[in-house]
Amino acid sequence: MRRRSGPPVKLRIEGGSSSRRPGTIAEAHRSGARPVRATLSTIIVALAVCAAARAEPQSYAIDPTHTFVTFETAHFGTSTSRGRFERMQGSVQFDRAGKAGRVEISIATASVSTGVPALDSRLRGPEFFDSTAYPSATFIAEGFTFVGDTVTEVAGHLTLLGKTLPLTLKAKNFNCYLSPLLLRETCGGDFEATLQRSRWGMAFGTDIGAPDSVRLLVQVEAIRQ
Amino acid sequence: MRLHLACLLLGALAAPATAEPVVYTLDPTHSFVTFELMHFGTSTIRGRFSPVNGSVTLDRAAGRGSADLALDTASVSTGLRAFDARIRERDLLASEAFPQASFVAERFRFDGDRLAEVRGEFTLRGVSRPLSLFARHFACERRASLQREVCGGDFEAEIQRSVFGASFGLPFVGDRVRLLVQVEGIRQ
Repeated sequence: MRRRSGPPVKLRIEGGSSSRRPGTIAEAHRSGARPVRATLSTIIVALAVCAAARAEPQSYAIDPTHTFVTFETAHFGTSTSRGRFERMQGSVQFDRAGKAGRVEISIATASVSTGVPALDSRLRGPEFFDSTAYPSATFIAEGFTFVGDTVTEVAGHLTLLGKTLPLTLKAKNFNCYLSPLLLRETCGGDFEATLQRSRWGMAFGTDIGAPDSVRLLVQVEAIRQ
Repeated sequence: MRLHLACLLLGALAAPATAEPVVYTLDPTHSFVTFELMHFGTSTIRGRFSPVNGSVTLDRAAGRGSADLALDTASVSTGLRAFDARIRERDLLASEAFPQASFVAERFRFDGDRLAEVRGEFTLRGVSRPLSLFARHFACERRASLQREVCGGDFEAEIQRSVFGASFGLPFVGDRVRLLVQVEGIRQ
């Protein structure tokens, strides 16, 4: 006899005669005293409908607990300084079958965090993100490149300090999985880009040797709605 | 005059080669450990700690050095307070029982003048294991703003958190943890 170990796995596949859960497809069919075969065919039809639906763009909401923008800049050619933005929101429309998508993310510039409070204040100030005048930076993109089923590149526009310029994020990781906590499909990955901050008008210090180049590391996960 | 200049130049070249161990104290504004681990094989979770404390001794001419570094595990910062609180719990960093993580190293490998690898002992959750930090960048320069020499760089290492008993969330949250260490030391 096989011994079960660990917590019960909650797979919501209904239709077995042992199911006691009310409100399920199986329960509904049991109440009508229908044979199990009808239940199975219902599931097959439902799956087919779901499959067809996948060819349509699906909406995903950005998961703020797994979506962060980290930036890296060189410090005097010695070491790499890092910071991140902690508050953002946004949505993604994603059509895996149609190989298309749209993403819109808004980042609260005042949520910049480097671990050095004095530097954060300076970054929020007029020399850098000017968070009072420009509380958010946005990235809006419709140029999704796929290789097979996987997103490899997202080309769009970054608006920073009120200035909008093209920016392409390259995927380092991309995957979709069924979240066991939410029981929803979650898609996400890691994206990277390098930009010259002076192009957006953030040129402070570049004339005296502070680096212009900033590497962005974007963790993003979005939950199917 | 020409000879005098040549002597000056020679003197300048020879100066850094004096085999004196030099002590550098870490600059708390440029000494951070960031960690990375995979979430559901999909995206990278990142976090950092408050600045690393400690000092490094370098003898670049002799190709030797030592480091004695520590950080407060309770200072973990992911950008989400709920995550931070969870990470401090007993099945992850166990910050209450083990408030500090440390790295003590005496095996410094140089490529010429450039520090390439630091091998030492890393202690997390009271578990000590050998660990190598590999230099991605390393440079020393005179920092005009401090009127002092600064040596520093970027170092990387990888650990398996389960080895140290930090096992919550496996395997959905990865076992392999990449450590990215920014460090700058100011000459004392």
